[in-house]
Amino acid sequence: MIAQASRSDARAAVVLSLLGIFMGFSLSRIGFGSWDEVHSMFTFSSLRLTLAFLTGVVVLVPAWKLIHRATGATWSPRNIHRGTFIGGALFGLGWALTGACPAIALVQLGEGQLAAILTLAGIFLGNLLYSVVHDRFFRWSTQSCADV
Amino acid sequence: MLLHWFTTGRMMAVSGRFTALINRVRYRDQDEPDQEMAADDLVAAIRAMTADTFGGGAEPSDLEPPAAAPPAAPITLSGPQAPWLHIVFFGGLLLGGLASAVAWGTFAPTWGLSGEGFTRTFGDGPATAAVLLGGGMLTGFGTRMAGGCTSGHGLCGVSRLQPGSLLATAAFFGAGILFSFALEAL
Repeated sequence: MIAQASRSDARAAVVLSLLGIFMGFSLSRIGFGSWDEVHSMFTFSSLRLTLAFLTGVVVLVPAWKLIHRATGATWSPRNIHRGTFIGGALFGLGWALTGACPAIALVQLGEGQLAAILTLAGIFLGNLLYSVVHDRFFRWSTQSCADV
Repeated sequence: MLLHWFTTGRMMAVSGRFTALINRVRYRDQDEPDQEMAADDLVAAIRAMTADTFGGGAEPSDLEPPAAAPPAAPITLSGPQAPWLHIVFFGGLLLGGLASAVAWGTFAPTWGLSGEGFTRTFGDGPATAAVLLGGGMLTGFGTRMAGGCTSGHGLCGVSRLQPGSLLATAAFFGAGILFSFALEAL
């Protein structure tokens, strides 16, 4: 049982590290690691990242449908509550300030932009802070799709 | 190009991994943060306990007809992952960025961020550290509050036309656009 579990963990580790490398490499090549590119996306002076993002969405729409048809897989609905909007807007501010969404902080660090370590520390701190605040004040559920 | 993470049989979500790690730190005294356990996690846990008790195969595929689980998906990747696996994924992201910079000959580590925009906007003094740390905190706080970031809400959620994801994505792009124009105006 233990041997089996660690073997499946090891397999998961190989798959996850390859996915991480592929995703990090792709995001970096597209230009998501660059503060300038992100700023250009938000000010519409370059459509490079916007188009990459939209391409992602456009590819995924039929992909989910095909997967559903082929395997019968279903996915739980995403939550919606006041925090969805407020949290989203706060994240938008953070993204515009640092040029990094959560994955990108790591990609930037790998690219040699060492200041991203501060962004990364901030993300961990902010996440922790929200979890404390949430327990005290909020009643909605903050599921994230890593859980489902 | 972006998109083959559905090979893992789970929705991609990066901020959720931060959440999982933070939960691990916060709730390390308890075995499981079960007050936040999603239904699917519960099913997975029950499966694991069943397998433990009856000494059956640990793989859910032994217990169920294959139709219940996507055959293309490695079963071990669905359900909650061990904390160190999140770190493995993060390490992959870092290596991916490194590989990209090295392969294109642009790898030259700097203490700041590359490009001119950030420095032009915020200077290069100690205040930039506060901008990055504070901005990072907004990102961490906001993504946990909204329950997702660019990958979970933006890509995986919007492509399934989930109302919550459409709202969150509109909110973070909207705020990013407004704030970036405000920065330009300053």
